[in-house]
Amino acid sequence: MKSQKAAISVAFDQLLSLRMDMANFTADWLHCDQLSNYVARMVSHDRPDPLRHSNLLSSVLNELLEMSFRSETDDGELVCAFCRCREIERVELTFPCPPRQRQFYKDVVLGLKTRQVLASYLGAIANDSAPGDEAILLGLVVNYDAEVQLRDFGAGTLTFIVDLPLGKLLN
Amino acid sequence: MTAQSPSPVFTVRFDISDQEFSLAGVLRPHSPAEIADDLLLLRNGIEAVNGVLYVNLKRVTHMNSTAFRALTRVLVDASHSRPELKFVVVASSVVAWAARMFRHLTDLSPNIAIEIYDSAFYPGQAFVENQSFIPILRTQTRMTWRHEREILPRHGLRTGMAIADICCGIGDFAMLVRKEFDPARIVALDHSMASLDYARDVAEKFGVRDIEYTYGDASQMLLESDQFDFVICRHSLQIFDRPEMLLRELYRICKPGGRVYITNEKNSHCLGEPRSDSIQWTYHEVAKLFSHFDMDVEMGPKGLRLLQDAGFEAVKMESFMVSNLDGDPQEFADIIAAWRDVYAGEMSVRRGDSQEFIERFKQGFEDHIFAALHPRGYAGWPIWAASGRKPL
Ligand SMILES: C[S@@+](CC[C@H](N)C(=O)[O-])C[C@H]1O[C@@H](n2cnc3c(N)ncnc32)[C@H](O)[C@@H]1O
Repeated sequence: MKSQKAAISVAFDQLLSLRMDMANFTADWLHCDQLSNYVARMVSHDRPDPLRHSNLLSSVLNELLEMSFRSETDDGELVCAFCRCREIERVELTFPCPPRQRQFYKDVVLGLKTRQVLASYLGAIANDSAPGDEAILLGLVVNYDAEVQLRDFGAGTLTFIVDLPLGKLLN
Repeated sequence: MTAQSPSPVFTVRFDISDQEFSLAGVLRPHSPAEIADDLLLLRNGIEAVNGVLYVNLKRVTHMNSTAFRALTRVLVDASHSRPELKFVVVASSVVAWAARMFRHLTDLSPNIAIEIYDSAFYPGQAFVENQSFIPILRTQTRMTWRHEREILPRHGLRTGMAIADICCGIGDFAMLVRKEFDPARIVALDHSMASLDYARDVAEKFGVRDIEYTYGDASQMLLESDQFDFVICRHSLQIFDRPEMLLRELYRICKPGGRVYITNEKNSHCLGEPRSDSIQWTYHEVAKLFSHFDMDVEMGPKGLRLLQDAGFEAVKMESFMVSNLDGDPQEFADIIAAWRDVYAGEMSVRRGDSQEFIERFKQGFEDHIFAALHPRGYAGWPIWAASGRKPL
């Protein structure tokens, strides 16, 4: 785990990191939309097609932010970091998350590697009772070719690390 | 945890005569209940139509998973309860996630088809996105710039502004504007990937990083409203069969108090001496040829009315004549030769013109070239520049 973390920090340049009090963030649903557009625009300006890049990135960020919005805990901080390594963009989203929820996410993320993601995704979007968060994470993999990892350092927070080949998706 | 503000703005419409349900804007609801009324409109629409129901999502710029799942369930349920009905979901090629997300509807039901809306926008689009236009555009811009660099300030362009060049072609005008007027921001949008690649290559070679070139459809842009001090659209309204639709978009992205600047031609007024009769005949035919493909290259002087009808105020217009006297006459001749090759070439052939007609048609261009290169000749190409202010 340690060596993996070292490799991550060497390869990726961090472009931006935003902190927000979770209670402020969850005070208004519109914050998800606003924050995702803001971050997406900030980091897309030097891409070959800034507008479409930003639109695509905002879609992913919004899904993640909406997920953290529903995390049931207002205590603590939301941290949204954005990194880039050549054509791969990385979103790191950290938010307070109770143990049961953390376990749920771990199971879902494990499933992303082992299950038939497309079939699971189709099942999730066609079925009312499938958990929303699962549909979101499957959607990131299926629709955005995302690679999703989790980091759990205890302390009541969870970090989603989502790698995206956005340049490829735009062409 | 409350959701106090209304969700971002979207619009919904059902048009019974077109059997079309359309959504536009940002669909990021907190819960399916927030869009329940809109989906009810869709459900009722489905009950009311026969044959094909179009679900137009071309103008959806964002749709979250909550909205997508709710929409999916309505469509999939309906495809089961009305198996004789076909659903055609139309997505935009510009919005990169749309096709990837909406294609799953087809996975879920064979009665749902996805159409990617792209270049079927108007009849002549294939001609104007033709790569053979690239060298012409470059020379044209070089010649018009001699006039426009002085005209633009009269229409309100100043240094430090936020500028958009819509239908920017190969981006050369954006480069010139950037250099001369040092904008705070400049976005250049076109629907031709080949032209944009060319534009990015040139920018890269000159070390220019601050022009935001973007692939898009001018009739429905991803750009947000009220953003630009100066919106440019050159030689392009005239090629759309519904210019008012495009003007509405130019108006939308312009800041209140900002101005939209358009240029258009009146091809039948191209002229030359000597051999004026042959030249005049050919350019009248050019206008007819374009109108056959629903393009109005006679639009130039209509700029005043178009801008007023679109809601602009303080509308101004002037005209200028690009001619063989503006520098190197060979450049002027090169433009005419390129027109000859496309107009009396692909376009004339596509219309089904006779060989005899094509020969006569070509001769007028030859004569225009002759006039341009003649030491005592004159050859002109008139252009109308108009602008209007978006009310505060
Ligand atoms: C006659 S050219 C003018 C280009 C440039 N403004 C100039 O003056 O050199 C028309 C341009 O409109 C672009 N175009 C056509 N349809 C479009 C659309 N739906 N959205 C954006 N651009 C479009 C074409 O690709 C082409 O570059």
